[in-house]
Amino acid sequence: MSLYIAKRVAQAVLVVLLAYTAVFLAVQALPNDPVTIFLSTDASADPATIAQMKSHYGYDQPILVQYFSQLGGILAGDLGYSLSSGAPVASRIAEVIGSTLTLASSAFVFAVALALVIVTVGTLSKAFWIKKLFVNLPPLMVSIPVFWLGLVLLQVLAVQLDVMSLFPDGSFLSLAVPIFVLAVHLSAPIAQVLFKSIQTIEQQPFVDVLRAKGASDAWIYFRHLLKNAAPSALSIAGITIGTLLAGSVITETVFARAGLGQLILNAVTVQDIPLIQGLVILTAIAFTGVNLLVDLIHPKLDPRIISADSHSARALAA
Amino acid sequence: MRLKTFAFKTSAALAVLGLSLTACSSNSSATKAVGGTSDSSTPVSGGTFTYAEVTPIKNWQTQAARFYEKANVLNSVLDRLTYYDTEKGEIVGWIASKFESNDAKTEYTFTIRDGVTFSNGTPLDAAAVKANLDALGLGIESAQIQPNVDFSAYKSSEVVGKNQVRVTLKRSDANFLRATTSVAAGLVSPETLKLDNAGQSAISKIVGSGPFVFKSEKADEEVVFAKRADYKWAPATAKNQGAAYIDELVIKYLPEVAHRAGAAQSGQVDLVRGLQPIDEQTLKAGGGTVYAASGVDLTANMAAARIGSGKLADEKVRHALQSGIDRQAIKDTVLSDSYEIAGSIVNHKAEGYVDLSADLAYDPEKSKKLLDEAGWKVGADGIREKDGEKLEVTVSSSNNSVVIKPAFELIEQQWRAIGVKLVNRAGDNTFLTNALVDSKIEFFGTRQFAYGGLGPVFGPANNTQTLNADEELNSLFVKEQAATTEEEHLKLVGDEQRALVSEKALTLPLWDEVQVYGANEKAHVEFTSGTAPIFQSAWKSKD
Repeated sequence: MSLYIAKRVAQAVLVVLLAYTAVFLAVQALPNDPVTIFLSTDASADPATIAQMKSHYGYDQPILVQYFSQLGGILAGDLGYSLSSGAPVASRIAEVIGSTLTLASSAFVFAVALALVIVTVGTLSKAFWIKKLFVNLPPLMVSIPVFWLGLVLLQVLAVQLDVMSLFPDGSFLSLAVPIFVLAVHLSAPIAQVLFKSIQTIEQQPFVDVLRAKGASDAWIYFRHLLKNAAPSALSIAGITIGTLLAGSVITETVFARAGLGQLILNAVTVQDIPLIQGLVILTAIAFTGVNLLVDLIHPKLDPRIISADSHSARALAA
Repeated sequence: MRLKTFAFKTSAALAVLGLSLTACSSNSSATKAVGGTSDSSTPVSGGTFTYAEVTPIKNWQTQAARFYEKANVLNSVLDRLTYYDTEKGEIVGWIASKFESNDAKTEYTFTIRDGVTFSNGTPLDAAAVKANLDALGLGIESAQIQPNVDFSAYKSSEVVGKNQVRVTLKRSDANFLRATTSVAAGLVSPETLKLDNAGQSAISKIVGSGPFVFKSEKADEEVVFAKRADYKWAPATAKNQGAAYIDELVIKYLPEVAHRAGAAQSGQVDLVRGLQPIDEQTLKAGGGTVYAASGVDLTANMAAARIGSGKLADEKVRHALQSGIDRQAIKDTVLSDSYEIAGSIVNHKAEGYVDLSADLAYDPEKSKKLLDEAGWKVGADGIREKDGEKLEVTVSSSNNSVVIKPAFELIEQQWRAIGVKLVNRAGDNTFLTNALVDSKIEFFGTRQFAYGGLGPVFGPANNTQTLNADEELNSLFVKEQAATTEEEHLKLVGDEQRALVSEKALTLPLWDEVQVYGANEKAHVEFTSGTAPIFQSAWKSKD
């Protein structure tokens, strides 16, 4: 077990290191250094100032020195300086990360609950049309664009009916509506995978045995199907963190919320490369961290993962 | 960009839906051209005024206020030495009660008004002005702060007498006084100047002498300002010489364009910038007001031409493209009545404007003839060729203007009719980053603050409009800056416009810069010549 954990942790660290290296190389591959790019957006910049700022932020150092000094900085929690505000990247992120965490974690919990409700109703319902409706809900939900749903809800609720603010004002609706918009998009793949996996498990002989023993559909569903289908849903939930982040960018823009999404958007717009770099590394860490967590929970759900000497333990679970 | 287009269409559909739902539209609707007295009613005191900007800003350092998002807010926090009064068309006193220059325009003397204080209580005296001018003219190296580009002639300044500051320039500069009217030349307290870059960029630490004072901030969501009750040093010609009418000013951010009209109409904000042409009618129909703030301090929107790829090196080709643009069609198709077709490279209301509209007339036949003469023959696909090369040109622009991309889409069609292919990369900021300094990218779609005249915009070799230091033009700019009489100066400003637009066609002017604001029916507001809202004189009617 401890070997499994050590392996997974080492893998996660390697992934983050590779992500950092990829981002670093991508920045080096840009036709110019970050200071020049930032200062030349829309106006001509003074070459002396550019040179001065380059040396201040260390962009005039040899590549290897930059690589290791930036890496050392990250290990110490220092992500460099945002060119657009002059403030450290870390403090710029710290200012708004709380807002995104609130939105994203609430949306995630709501999305999981929503997926469970859809799958449960869709599986247990006796009425064919209800079953059909719920089975078709996830594909519908995933095809509704996040920004469109957000725009429509705001247009109706904030502009037409005037029951909520166009801006985050701390009221229940101003948080609940963005959470709902994001969760709808997020819960679709979770529900979809859960549906498929329950349908597959339903075909297995042990379910027939349970039925023959007189177990009710609900009992089989909650005690066996759901438990067996959980690992695959967990995997997809881990992967949705990407969707969550992309969804947050749009949700935060539509709902005028501060957050990482808005920060990314603005950093890209004004070409604040150190800030973009910091955000990408943070995203890589978050993504790897969540997937590490999923990997560590998996053995609890399916002990075979530890015994199976396979590189694709997760494939076995799915 | 696809997403944007879709969002745009959706918002249009929603706007129509909104119209049909609120079928109670009032018809008291008018676009207010700004600059004149737009309201005869008496201002009401009190209340909170909410203004929605386009994107959040985290850098409030003075010299960096060359973007609307910053300047529009700092305008209420920082006073300047002088003020440009659009109605009178002249520079009037503000913190400097008097200003004069020597005949050679190499020395300017400002007399500082008595009794002005920063919001922290320290006096805005001659010493504080000198500290500010040094920071603007020379930058602050230790804090990584660049000099103000309009102060490129600045050499030094000294305090003379009790309350005067004398500025010495490296060379003559007839535009220096105008540069002191810009928000980017706003005055901050000497304590603020001592901070590092991050400190000077934080709105909470910017101490000015303006009518509003920082109160609180929620990062990337809002900034709140309170009025300064003891404010009594507005620009000489301002109608309100005292404290602001409103008690509190709230700046919020509304990045989503689709909500801007609705935000103003529903009263959730009193004023919003960046209204799309398509939303103007919706807002008016709902009782709101559309304010078109004229950008007198800026150049017209243009396609500045670069000759690096060789395709535009022949003047005839540039002239052909100039007359190949149907500007009226652009206005009718993608703009609105709030926009005025450019008659020169500067705004109609700018000092020294000359009407060159005859040279900007749409004449595709003339274009074809010129291109033929230049040796570009129509190929099999309708696109002209010469020496095996297609007449294909590229335009780049930032996404700051809401109308620039659709405008170039139309120009693309118009130029195709004369056999020229336009590759439209307008609104693509990533592409712009490289294109800005690549002379092979033939066109740069833009408009620029021109406080220092046209010289700093088109002059130096590293200017990003043409990436070309045209010797004739440059000597003209030098002569213009060195002009010693008003008469001579205006004549040379006219010559510059004729050279740039009519003779060399180095820039294709499109429409006068204007910022379109949407206001709730209760909001009353005026704007500076730099299109910034003047919150010191803004007020809200009671219910």
